Amino acid sequence: MSAEPLLSVRNLAKNFGGVQAVRDVSFDVKAGSITGLIGPNGAGKSSVLAIVSGFLAPTSGSVHFAGDVVSGFPAYRLARLGLVRTFQLSSEFERLSVMENLLVAAPNQRGERLRDALVGRWRWHAQEDAAVARARELLARFEISEKEDDLAGDLSGGQKRLLELARALMAEPKLLLLDEPMAGVNPALIRRIESHLLALRDEGLTMLMVEHELGVVERLCEQVVVMAQGQVLSSGTMSELRMNEEVLDAYLSG
Amino acid sequence: MSSSMQFYVSNLLVYLAVDVMACLGLNLQFGVAGLINLAFIVFQAAGAYTAAVLTLGPSSSMGGFQSYVLGAHLPFPLPLLAAAVVGGALSYIVGLVALRRLRTDYQAMVMLVISLIATTVVTNATGLFNGSNGLALIPRPLQSVLGFSPVGYQWFYVVLSFACTMIVWVVVRRITGSPLGRTLRAVRDNDAAAMSLGKNVTQMRLTAFVTGGAIAGFSGAILAQYISAWSPGSWLFPESFVYFSAVIVGGAGNNMGAVVGAALVPVAFLEATRYIPQFGYPGLVDALQWVVVGLLTLAVMWFRPRGVFPERTRRFARTTGSEPRP
Amino acid sequence: MNIYVLSLGFGLITASILAIASVGFTLQFGVTNILNLAYGDVMTGCAFVAYLVTRAGGSLPEALIAGAGTGALASYGLNRFVYTPFVRRGTRMFGMIIVTISVSLALQNGLQAIFKATFFSLALPRPSSYTFAGMIFTSQQLVIMGLAVAAMLLVHSLLSWTKLGRAMRATAADPELARSCGIATDRVIDLAWLLSGALCGTAGVALALNVTSFTSTAGGQFLIPIIAAAVLGGVGQPYGAMIGAVVIGLSAELSAAVISPSYKEVVAFLILIVVLLIRPQGIFAEVATQKEVVA
Repeated sequence: MSAEPLLSVRNLAKNFGGVQAVRDVSFDVKAGSITGLIGPNGAGKSSVLAIVSGFLAPTSGSVHFAGDVVSGFPAYRLARLGLVRTFQLSSEFERLSVMENLLVAAPNQRGERLRDALVGRWRWHAQEDAAVARARELLARFEISEKEDDLAGDLSGGQKRLLELARALMAEPKLLLLDEPMAGVNPALIRRIESHLLALRDEGLTMLMVEHELGVVERLCEQVVVMAQGQVLSSGTMSELRMNEEVLDAYLSG
Repeated sequence: MSSSMQFYVSNLLVYLAVDVMACLGLNLQFGVAGLINLAFIVFQAAGAYTAAVLTLGPSSSMGGFQSYVLGAHLPFPLPLLAAAVVGGALSYIVGLVALRRLRTDYQAMVMLVISLIATTVVTNATGLFNGSNGLALIPRPLQSVLGFSPVGYQWFYVVLSFACTMIVWVVVRRITGSPLGRTLRAVRDNDAAAMSLGKNVTQMRLTAFVTGGAIAGFSGAILAQYISAWSPGSWLFPESFVYFSAVIVGGAGNNMGAVVGAALVPVAFLEATRYIPQFGYPGLVDALQWVVVGLLTLAVMWFRPRGVFPERTRRFARTTGSEPRP
Repeated sequence: MNIYVLSLGFGLITASILAIASVGFTLQFGVTNILNLAYGDVMTGCAFVAYLVTRAGGSLPEALIAGAGTGALASYGLNRFVYTPFVRRGTRMFGMIIVTISVSLALQNGLQAIFKATFFSLALPRPSSYTFAGMIFTSQQLVIMGLAVAAMLLVHSLLSWTKLGRAMRATAADPELARSCGIATDRVIDLAWLLSGALCGTAGVALALNVTSFTSTAGGQFLIPIIAAAVLGGVGQPYGAMIGAVVIGLSAELSAAVISPSYKEVVAFLILIVVLLIRPQGIFAEVATQKEVVA
């Protein structure tokens, strides 16, 4: 196990027209672990996630991924490097089938280039077949195989969550950024998603997760970063944090 | 068939071919990629003007009755290809400005404004394409070489335009049937999610925009060379809307829908009704036609928002091996 | 007589009409997120109503009231019975643009079918003219400028001092949040469309008053500068639209004097493109949002 963190956030700050949403945030995400990012509403968690995933440019500070400075990169480049995010609101491609949703996420598709698409099927169908096979494995893993040909927009809320996870995995992430993966999910499905995430971690996937449900965070996250008012209040294991007066105050007052 | 009937039918068929090409191009932009190119007709016009000036020869040879830039006598099919290139290049320039940072609503506004401004500029800059009078006497491709009778040439043009339509069809089908088409639809449905999966959304949109623009230019060349004339009156803003209406009625995102839409709205509706008797004061029928196109579009969007032929998703054969699929 | 000073005068009048129109346009977008591309055609409709009123012997104030009333009712009806049902059915912004264009096309050509494609002018007595510092205004143009100032003051006081205005801004900023704060957003939206419709109608009559003749396409053509002004100010920002209107109106008329009258709109358009390239959210957007945050 390497001591080098997979992701380091250093002195991150973000201003929105005079409002400081994030100020001087630093933390690390260890490879092969699930790290939680928690805090009351408006603490700046989502902004941090958006900056790390390239959807917002930081006002100052830097993000290091696998040893390289990646802050300021556009989202699609980060995704190609292996930094893939999911969204709090379900973000399926609604008029694509479940299978097509997954296939979109396959990296480096030859058939996505205009020239190869025009030349014809033989330029890309081998790669496509491999992608279909991999997508089927993921659908089976998340137990939504029978939905393969359904329109993604017609899935139930819970199925959309599973699809979102499967689709993100299809993009072959090294670090998965999860933005409230349990939002609006029923308790039974929460348990199912939890066991999926733990299994993924055991296979070596690193995750950074924004989550409101403290129970979920406690069960999944080795390390937890607590934010309040745009700053890091504290970090440590969940049981350490439970002892911390400051953290308790922030939650009670938030 | 009497020769006037032959003229009538062949004329409609050429219009059908042009409108099918245009609708396939617009469907790629609007139905597949979700780009609201309200200036679509401008790119068709650009192709039409390109083909016109590249076949008319030098402006000075026209005895001063029309003036324009870039006159040349290029042999068939170079003017058609040049028209596609110009349509694509112009789309690229506009796309760089409009598609890079703007939200959908701003894009639509910019495109609308571009359409109206392009008309103003071409009408007033008389040295460009002869202003509001437009270009006339545009030579028809190979007419002097082939030596057909007028009716024979009509049918030749039908064959030519259908062949061109087939080429466009193949191009569009290859795109929509490939991972490129799938990713474009994904970008349309949720661009943030597409970005988060490593898709360069701007580049994707530009690809669809430029390809659609090239097809528009190509279709414009076929049209202008057929009617032998082209002026700002041929490409006013509402003409773009006719194509939008056609794509929506047929089924946005479905190529077959674009074809059916082209046959229903621009051809059956606007071209064929040219032959119904006029009533009321001059211009009344035209105005009412547009009212009906507007209401028809609203009705389809209300009762059948996905059109006659809704977009289809692809099913993948459940074979375990890597056998080729049907 | 100095042509630039003269055009400055024209610019002020254009800016006045534009200000009334673009504030209404931007309000509709701000409160309901609908880009109403039929706005210009509603203007035309109101101008025709004013025309009928003057033909029947009505005075200018009567024509203005009729125009504003028609605009208010037509816009309210349009939103209530066409746009809102489509939105409720799940038509997204993408489709709503097509819906508004369909309405625009049907309206414009419907008006043309009724009134024919000929030129009209309001049947009013010949106005007297006045000269100020080298600028010439007719009494009617003075009325237009007065109307613009009055409309801007009205909108300003409404937005900043009344409960309705605050509710409107809250709805514009975040409809969900506004609803959960107990604001009757549906009613606010109805009132916003009535108000913006009245502005639209007033602008339509003002437009008809300012040109010697107008046709069924006049309002539709005026949509370009309206969009330019609204975008310049940051779409959805009434104060931005006012400033945008002044910038676009003055630059259009001055460029007409300097370059050529046929390129008036082209200059407005170039300003629009430059703004979009530099600041897609509009020049005044951030200032305005900050105000929203404070309020």
